[in-house]
Amino acid sequence: MQENEIEFIVQKVMEELQRKFPAETKTEQIAKTNEDGLIFTENDWKTSIPAAVYQEGVSDLIASTPARIGVWRTGTRPLTKTMLKLQFDHAAAIDAVGGEVLEKTLAEFDLFTVETCYENKETYLKRPDKGRMLTDNAVRTIKDKCTHHPQVQIVVSDGLSASAVETNLKDVYPALLDSLKINNLSAGTPFFVKGGRVACMDHIGEILEPQVLVLLIGERPGLVSASSMSAYMCYRPRKGVVESDRNVISNIHPLGTPPVEAGAHIGTVLKKMLEQKVSGVKLEL
Amino acid sequence: MGMEAIKSVGIDIGTSTTKLILSELRLGRVSSHFALPHFDIIDRKVTYESDIISTPMKNGDEIDLMALAGWLEQEYRRIGLSLSDIKSGAVIITGETAIKKNADALLHYLAERSGDFVVAIAGASLEGVLAGRGSGSSEYSKKVKGIVANIDIGGGTANVAFFQQGKVLDTITFHVGGRLIEIDSAGEVSAVSPSLQLWLFSKNFLVEKGMRLTLKQLSELSSVLCKDMLDCLVGKMPIAAVKSLVHSASSETLPMIDEVMISGGVGRLALEVPPSTLDDAAKYNDIGPILAGELIKALKNYPLSVVEAAQTSRATVIGAGMQTTKISGATISIAPEHLPLRNIPVVKMSYSDTALEQYIERFFLQGKELFHGNFEVPFAISLAEMPYLPYLKLKELAEVLGKVYTRLFPKAAVLVVVCENDMAKALGQALRLQLAADMDVICIDQVVVEHGDYIDIGEPLNDTMVPVVVKTLAFS
Repeated sequence: MQENEIEFIVQKVMEELQRKFPAETKTEQIAKTNEDGLIFTENDWKTSIPAAVYQEGVSDLIASTPARIGVWRTGTRPLTKTMLKLQFDHAAAIDAVGGEVLEKTLAEFDLFTVETCYENKETYLKRPDKGRMLTDNAVRTIKDKCTHHPQVQIVVSDGLSASAVETNLKDVYPALLDSLKINNLSAGTPFFVKGGRVACMDHIGEILEPQVLVLLIGERPGLVSASSMSAYMCYRPRKGVVESDRNVISNIHPLGTPPVEAGAHIGTVLKKMLEQKVSGVKLEL
Repeated sequence: MGMEAIKSVGIDIGTSTTKLILSELRLGRVSSHFALPHFDIIDRKVTYESDIISTPMKNGDEIDLMALAGWLEQEYRRIGLSLSDIKSGAVIITGETAIKKNADALLHYLAERSGDFVVAIAGASLEGVLAGRGSGSSEYSKKVKGIVANIDIGGGTANVAFFQQGKVLDTITFHVGGRLIEIDSAGEVSAVSPSLQLWLFSKNFLVEKGMRLTLKQLSELSSVLCKDMLDCLVGKMPIAAVKSLVHSASSETLPMIDEVMISGGVGRLALEVPPSTLDDAAKYNDIGPILAGELIKALKNYPLSVVEAAQTSRATVIGAGMQTTKISGATISIAPEHLPLRNIPVVKMSYSDTALEQYIERFFLQGKELFHGNFEVPFAISLAEMPYLPYLKLKELAEVLGKVYTRLFPKAAVLVVVCENDMAKALGQALRLQLAADMDVICIDQVVVEHGDYIDIGEPLNDTMVPVVVKTLAFS
C-alpha cells in the first residue's frame, strides 16, 4: 500500500469519527488563576457531562466511586483538564514514593529515627527484603533507648509514601494514644523507621518482644490518593509470622478511612488481641 | 461472621383493621476486612403473619386496650415466643385511630409490652413511607428511572409517598379511605367520619347517618373522591384547591409521578372484581370495595402506569416491622448500662470554626426547651454536615461540648451524641477523657436525624453497635 493511500484512509477515518463524535464546540472556561498563586481545589478540576439525559443516574454513579467517571470528552479523547489531572496525580504518587518525612514532623511526636538495610530509594524499591531488616546500628539504638517487653509498641514508617506520614500522623497518632488510655493499655517507646516494609515488625518484635505491635506505615500511592496510610497490628510479632497473622486498617486518609476514627479504633483491636492472645484471621472482632 | 438474626415485630393498629407480623433481620459486615468494620441489615424475612382482625373499639372514639393486649398475648403464645426473644420492631398507629382519645397512651403501653426494643410510632408521613417500603415501591423505584408513588389506602386515610431510586422525595396524606362512610347491605348509612364532612360539604354531597343510598350514588361519590385525589397527585390541581381532602403534605408542590403502586386494604380490594350489587359492596359494612373499584376505573384516565404491589393490606405492618430499625456504625462509644434509651428529643447542629462555645450554647438552649423533665438525658445532640475534623479540632469540640453541657445541665448523667459521619469512636473517647467520671458518654455515628426528631437507642448488638430508631414527631 502506498504511503499516500494510508494517509488518505487515516484522514477518512478521522473525518468519520469527527462526524460521529463532534468535538464540544463550547470552549471550556479556563480556570482562573487564584490570586494567591496556582492553587486548584477539587472543584477547579471538575468536569461533567453537559446536559446528561439522566443526570440523577450519573450523579449516583459518580458518588459511588472516586474513579474518574463521567468526566466527558472532546472528540474521542479525554478533555485536557482530565489528562492534566491524571498526570498531576501520577506525579504526586511518584513524589510520595521518592519523598522523605520532615525531621520537624517526627520531632513533634518525639520519634527518633532508625533505618532498615534499604540503603537508598532505588534499592528499597528493588529489594523489599532489605526493608524488612533493621541495620545493626538501628538494633543497638532501639535496645538502648526503648522499654523492653512493652504491652504495646508503636512504630511509624514512611514505607512507600512519605506524604502519608506527613498528612495523617498528626491525627492518627494522638487518637491512638487516647484509645490506649481509654482501654487501659500502656505503650513502650515509639520510634520512626526509615525505609521500612510491613514485615520489619517481625524484626522489631524479636528485639523488643512487645505483647502487641502497631505499625503506622505509608501505603503504595495510587491515583486516587498518594497519602494513604495503613495500620498493621500483630500479637507477639517475631520471625516467621505469616501475613494472615496480621490485622490491618488500610486506606487511612481524610477522604478514605477517617484518620482520627482509625486511630481511635486501633486501641479496641489491640485490646482484643491481648484478650484473645491471637491476631490476624483468627482474631474475633 | 455467624451473627444471630434479630427478631423484629411489627404491629399496625389501623382505622378498620389490626395486624401483626414477625420478621428476622440478619446483620452482616458490609465493609471490607481492611477497612473499619461497618455492619448493616443484609437480609429481611417475614417469618409470621397474623390474621387481619377488626380493630377493637370500645365506642366511637376509644380503642379497646384490654382487647388489644389480650390479642397480642394470644398471638405471642401461638408463635411460641416470649417478650425477651423480640429484640426490635415497632407498633404503629395509623389513619384515623391516631386521633382517638387514648391513642398515645395505648401506643406506648403496647410498645413496652411487645419486646425489648419495640418502639411506638405514628404520624401520617411516616406511615406513608413505611407502607411504601413494605409494599415494595421503594425497592421497585431503585430499578426504574422515574418517580414511583405508593398510594396506601386503608380505612381512614390514603398515605402517599414518592420514591426515586429508593429515596423518599415527599409525602402527602388524604382523607380518603374505605371506612369513612359505613353502610349496610341495604345502602343505609350508619356512620360518616367527621374528617370527610368538609369535603362532602364543599362538593354539595349530602350524606348523613340514616340516609339510604344506591350503589350508583355511592359509586359516583367514590369516583369524585378518587378524581380529586388523583388530580392533586398528578399536579392537575394544586394542593390548596383540594384543601378539604388533604390531611397533611410535606411540601406545597409534589413531584411528577411516572408510576404508581396501590397498597393498603383498599389496594387489596382493587385486585378483586368490583362489586355489582349493594349486598356485595357492603360486605365489610363500608364503602371500601366501591372505592377500590372506582379508583381502578379513575386511574385509567391518567397517564400513569400502575404496577402491582408486592404487598397490599400488610404493607404498613411489614414496613413497621422490618424497616424502622437502623444499625449504627460499628466504631462507636457506648455506656451499655444506660441502654435502651427511648424518646430522646434531638437537637441538630453543625460546626463553627469561630466562637464555637457561643455556637454550641445557642443550640443547647434550644435543647433545654425541648426536653420533658428527663434530667438524666435531656436530649441528644445530632452533628450533621460536619467538615472533616483533624484531631486538634475534634478535641476542642469535645472540650466545649462537655463544658457547656455540664454547665447547663448539671443533673444530666449521660451525654448523647449522634454523628452523621464516621467519627463517633474518636469523638466519644475525646469526650470520655474530658468529662468527669460520673458523666457517661453515648456517641454513635452513621445515623441521620433531623432537628425535632426523636431517637430510640437499643442495647448493643455484638458489643460493637446499637440498633436505632429515628422517629419524626409522633403526636403533634
